[in-house]
Amino acid sequence: MNRILLEKLQLHFGHASFRPGQREIIERLLSGQNVLAILATGGGKSVTYQLPALLLPGITVVVSPLISLMIDQVQQLRTRRRIPAAYVNSSQDPAESREILRELGNGVYKLLYISPEKLQQPYIQSVLKRIGVSLVAIDEAHCISQWGHDFRTDYLRLPDAIKHLGNPPVLAVTATATEDVRKEISQLLQIAQENVMSQPLNRENIALDLVRVSDEGERREQVLQLMDELKGPGIVYCSTRNAVEVLVASYQLQGSKRVHGYHGGMESMERMLIQSQFLLGELDVIVATNAFGMGIDKPDIQYVIHYQLPSSMEAYAQEIGRIGRNGQPGYAVLFYVEDDWQIHQHMVEKEYPTQLQVMQFFQAFKTAASANKDAWGPTEMTEEMVQMLTFYAEQTGLDQEVAAASDSGAEHVQRIWQETEKRKRLKKQKLYEMLRYVEDVNDCLRKKLNRYFGEEQVAFTLHCCSCCGLDRQAYQGDRTNTTNKKDENSWDLRQALEKLLPKK
Amino acid sequence: MNNRSIAAQDFLCAVTINAMIPLANERTLQAAFYILRGRKANQTLQDVHLYHLYPYYRMFPRFSKEDWEKIVSTLLQEELIVQLPAVTPTSKPSFSITEKGIDQAEQWKSAFQLDRWNEPFTESGLAEKIELFWQRLHLLVQTVSQLLSGDLGFFPVVSDKKIQQWVKNQLASHTAREQWQKRLGEELHTLWSPLPEDVQKLLIGQLSGATQVGKTLGQLAAQQKESAFYLQLPFRYGLAMSILQLQEDPVRLPLLSHLVVQTEKWDTRLTESAARTYTLVQRGMSIEQIADARKIKKSTVEDHLAEIALRCPEWDCSAYLEPTLSALIIQTSEQLQTSRLRLIKDHLGEAVSYLQIRLALARRQGERWT
Ligand SMILES: [Zn+2]
Repeated sequence: MNRILLEKLQLHFGHASFRPGQREIIERLLSGQNVLAILATGGGKSVTYQLPALLLPGITVVVSPLISLMIDQVQQLRTRRRIPAAYVNSSQDPAESREILRELGNGVYKLLYISPEKLQQPYIQSVLKRIGVSLVAIDEAHCISQWGHDFRTDYLRLPDAIKHLGNPPVLAVTATATEDVRKEISQLLQIAQENVMSQPLNRENIALDLVRVSDEGERREQVLQLMDELKGPGIVYCSTRNAVEVLVASYQLQGSKRVHGYHGGMESMERMLIQSQFLLGELDVIVATNAFGMGIDKPDIQYVIHYQLPSSMEAYAQEIGRIGRNGQPGYAVLFYVEDDWQIHQHMVEKEYPTQLQVMQFFQAFKTAASANKDAWGPTEMTEEMVQMLTFYAEQTGLDQEVAAASDSGAEHVQRIWQETEKRKRLKKQKLYEMLRYVEDVNDCLRKKLNRYFGEEQVAFTLHCCSCCGLDRQAYQGDRTNTTNKKDENSWDLRQALEKLLPKK
Repeated sequence: MNNRSIAAQDFLCAVTINAMIPLANERTLQAAFYILRGRKANQTLQDVHLYHLYPYYRMFPRFSKEDWEKIVSTLLQEELIVQLPAVTPTSKPSFSITEKGIDQAEQWKSAFQLDRWNEPFTESGLAEKIELFWQRLHLLVQTVSQLLSGDLGFFPVVSDKKIQQWVKNQLASHTAREQWQKRLGEELHTLWSPLPEDVQKLLIGQLSGATQVGKTLGQLAAQQKESAFYLQLPFRYGLAMSILQLQEDPVRLPLLSHLVVQTEKWDTRLTESAARTYTLVQRGMSIEQIADARKIKKSTVEDHLAEIALRCPEWDCSAYLEPTLSALIIQTSEQLQTSRLRLIKDHLGEAVSYLQIRLALARRQGERWT
C-alpha cells in the first residue's frame, strides 16, 4: 500500500514524500473511516482527497462553497495532473450541468466538485447514487457549524445528502476550528474522536506584531511607511472598500512600490487582472478587503498588514496564514484604533434582520412569494437575508401550509427572530474575542492566538511577537525603486502581437 | 489635489458640457448623467437619438453620483451653465449654457480632441457592441495565446459564462483551433495597423496571454500620467473602429469577423424586452392585451412602442397615430423649436396623447437617420 501511495503521489502530484499528517488521513479514509482534518492553509489539503479518489472505485464528491476555487482546481486537475474531474455549480447554465451529469453517469470522471446547494437536488443525488460515491470530501467544513464564524445554512443539510448517497466515508477539511467547532463538525458528520487529525496550527515562521495607534491619521502614516519599507510581496487588509480606496490613493501620491487595490466593488475583469499580476510578481502590494485571498496559492507572500481590526480570530488566523507558505520568515502586523470594533458592530447589525423585517418576511412567505425575488423589493432585504430567514423558517417547522393557517404568525415570527438574534450574538461574541486579543497587552500574542484554537504550541523561527520582542528591521527590504521601467521608445505593433501570439 | 486629478476634472467638465449643449433648455441637468452612465431607460435612449448624443452614451459606465455632482457644481460655479427653474408646477427644471460656457466647451473640445475620438459613433447600439466585442476578444486572445504555449491551466480573464461559452464554441473543432492559432496575430495586425500608435498601445497593453498579464486602464493611465477617464476615449475609439471595419469588410478578416456576428434570437435593433413586445404588436394585440400577456405595465408597453417607432421604419403605427395628426405634431414641434413633450402637449391640448407625441417624434427621428 505504501508503495502505491507514494507512486501515485509522485506520478500525479510530483511530490516525493507526504507532508505531515497527509498519509495518516489518507490511510484512514481508504479503510473506510470518517475523518476531520484540520490542515493549515497551504498545508496540502487537496492531496488528502484527490489521491484517494484515484485509488477508490466510483467517484469522489468534493463539496466546496467557492465557485472560483472549484473552477481553478478542476482546471489544474485536468491539465496538470491528468485526472478527469468536473464541477457542477450555479454558475453553469442548465444545459451544461445536464451534459456533465450525463458524462458522470457514463463514469467519465473520478472527481466531481459540487456546491452544497446542488448536492441537495434529488436528481443529482440519484445519478451519484447510481454510479457509486466512494468518498465525500467537505471543504471549508467549519461552515457546517453554527458556532463557526462562517456558518452557511446549506451546509447544515449535508448530513442528509450524505445519507442519501448511501453513507460513503466522509472527509471534513478546514483550516481553522476552535474546540467547539470541531466537536460540532464531528457530531454532525459522525466522526470519531480518534479520527480528528490536526496539523499543528502554530506557524513558526510568522512573527506577530500588534500596534495600537491613537487616531486614523497616525495609523495611515505608519502603514504607508511600512508598505514602503517592508520586503514584499505583501497584503494589506482593510475592513471596507472605502478604506481600501483611500489607502491606495494616498500611497500612490508618494509611494514607490507597485500597489493596487482589490475589492468586491471592482469589475470582475479588473479583479482577475490584478490577481494575476500579483501572482506573477508584477505587483508588490495588494490592498484588499477580505474578498481577496480565498483559493489563492502564492507561497512567497512575506507580510500581511491588518489596517483595521479583523472581525474574528478565525478570519485573522486565515488571513495571516497566507504568509510564508514557502517556509521563509514572514511578518504579520495588526493596527488598531480604539473604536475599530464599531465598524464591525455596524456590519453585524445590518446583516441580521430586525423584528419588523421578520414580520415582513413572514407575510411574503405566507403568500408564497418567496420564489419571486421582486416580492422582497420593498422590505430592503438582501438575498442572503432572505435565504437565512427561509432556512430558519424551515427549521422552526414553518411551511406554506402552516403559515397560511396562522394569521399574524406572531409565534413563528418570534421563534425565527430569536434564532437570528442568537446568530447575531455569536458574531458579536467573535468580535469580542478579537477585541480581547488586542486589548490584553501583557501576554504573548502567539500564545493567545494558538490558545484560542486550543493549542499550546509556542515555537517560532526568527521572532515570536511584539510582546516577547521582535526586530521589525529583519523584515524590511532594500528600498529599491520598483516602479515601472520606462516604456521603450520604439513601438512596433507586429512585435507586440508576436510576443502575445507567437508564430507557430 | 495633484496635477493629474486637476486634469481629470477638466476633462470630465469638457465632456459633460459638450454632452449638455444639445440638452439645454429642454432636459434636466441629470439627463446628461444618465447618458454618460449609459442608463438603459427609454427616456435616456430616446434622448440619445433625439439629440444625436451617440458618442456620449455609456462613455463612463462607472461614473459615480459624487463625481457627477462635483462636476455640476464646478460648471455652475464657473458660470458655464445656469440652472433654470421649472416653468409650471408640473414641468421639470432645466438649465442653459452661458456664452462663456459655449466658448469654454469649444476650447475644451479641441484640447481633448473630442471630435476625433467621437467620430466613429454615428449609430445607435455601438456602445453595447463595444463591451461585448472587447470581452470576447480579450478572452479569445488569452485562450489562443495559452494554446500556442501549450499550457491550458490559466485563470480566464473574463468570468462571464456566456462569453466563455462563445469562445469555447469558436475553438471547438481541431481545424478551428489551428486556424485561430495560425492567423489571429496576423488578422489583429491588419485590423489595428491603421489605428494611431497610442491607441494600439492601449489595446495591446490591456490584453492577457501566456507571456503577459494585461494592465487595467487605470494602470496604463498612471504610467502615462493621464486620467483613466480620458483614456477611455481613445480606447473606445479603437474598439469602435475595429467593429466598423469588421462589419464593413468581413471577407478580409474571416476569423475576427466572427466577433461581430449577431447571434441573439431577438430583433437586435431593439432591447430584448421591446423586441418581445414587437412580436406581439405584429400579431395585432392591443396595448392592454400586451401588458396583460407580458405582465408588465401599460406605460412600459408604450415605452416599447416609441422605441419600435424609432428603430423599425417598417412598422405601420397608424393604428395609434393617424398621419395627419403626426404631421400636426411635427409641425408644432418645429414651430416651438422643442422636443419637449410637455410643451407640445400644452400647445395641442387634450386632443393628442403623450404616446402620440412620442410616436410622432420618434418617427421623425427614425426617418432622419435611416
Ligand atoms: Zn510571543
